[in-house]
Amino acid sequence: MPDDWRALFALVAVFGPLSLFSIGGGASLLAEIAHQAVDVHHWTSDREFADLFAISRAAPGPGTMLSALIGWKVAGWWGALTATVALYLPSSLLIFGAARLWGRWRGSPWHSAIEHGLAPIAAGLVLAGGVAVLQVSGEPAIWAAAIVATGLLLRWPRFNLLALFAASGTIFGVAAALGH
Amino acid sequence: MTDTSGAKASASGGEQVSLPAIVGGFFQLGVTSFGGNTAAWLYRAIVLRRRWIDDRAFLAGVALSRVLPGSAGVNLTVQVGQRLRGGRGALAAVVGLLSGPLVIVVALAAAFARIAGSNVAHAVLHGIAAAAIGLTFATGLVLVPRSTAQLGEMMLAAVTVLTVGVLRWPMLPVVLCLAPIGIGLAFLRQRGRS
Repeated sequence: MPDDWRALFALVAVFGPLSLFSIGGGASLLAEIAHQAVDVHHWTSDREFADLFAISRAAPGPGTMLSALIGWKVAGWWGALTATVALYLPSSLLIFGAARLWGRWRGSPWHSAIEHGLAPIAAGLVLAGGVAVLQVSGEPAIWAAAIVATGLLLRWPRFNLLALFAASGTIFGVAAALGH
Repeated sequence: MTDTSGAKASASGGEQVSLPAIVGGFFQLGVTSFGGNTAAWLYRAIVLRRRWIDDRAFLAGVALSRVLPGSAGVNLTVQVGQRLRGGRGALAAVVGLLSGPLVIVVALAAAFARIAGSNVAHAVLHGIAAAAIGLTFATGLVLVPRSTAQLGEMMLAAVTVLTVGVLRWPMLPVVLCLAPIGIGLAFLRQRGRS
């Protein structure tokens, strides 16, 4: 059984509310997760956060697996499980309930106003997440590579992501091995 | 919901999909969906290949996922599970989807912690992070409205980036302030059009 209940409660207190604010998908939470984990709770250093972000992106599954890694850093396996449940349970229950009402809801002007009205904020949150991770990772080489990758993906949206991640990781790794 | 039974019958030939099959199907989806866009992988694996739901149900699910909070991939998974086997189906689908990635991602982090002193390992992670940040920017930029007719929406997106991203303000109050503005703007636009 977990021995650090206080840490688990802290994880629930952070990720539970975020669950209901992840408008436009999990990527919109990135900036806030960075803010909470690094600035507010000091669960990770800047460098550790950047590492965990990269690991979460190298693994399969929904992009928000970063929360599991923050939980793991705070309280081991129980922390990982707690953060994951806290992040996905509230939004899952909401959509479970809403799906039943969906038939009646469809086509109402409010539905489309909510969908269109939240879209620009969701886009802003996704971009803010990129900015937040760049801020904590800091190195000029990461800025440069991120800009190149952005341009590449805007020009060729169907570019193979695994190949891109692998190539970028390899280039950085080789440069470090050569004592750059 | 009248179309639930219709989708079920047409999608799986009248047979009910068993709970272990749901767990298995979504487990496979979870461990093979790289890059974070689980919704796109779900369409291939669950709709096209397994035919557990049809296109119409999928699109309705996507639309609902956009309005409500949560990861689009997980929200769609809840809805597919729910259509197949109600509450237990939804639980089975989500557990199936998340259990594999959870174990893999923590195992990766634990393995990395052993070699964290290595500069090369850090550099590789930095390279992956840079590409992932690029993906984040590319995704966000495509979603930002660019026509001058949508100046209000552009401003909303810019204010969000500035406050939450650059200034690192807490997200919840910012969203609580901006959401009514965005929804009000969209509502006025609709009325103007009709």
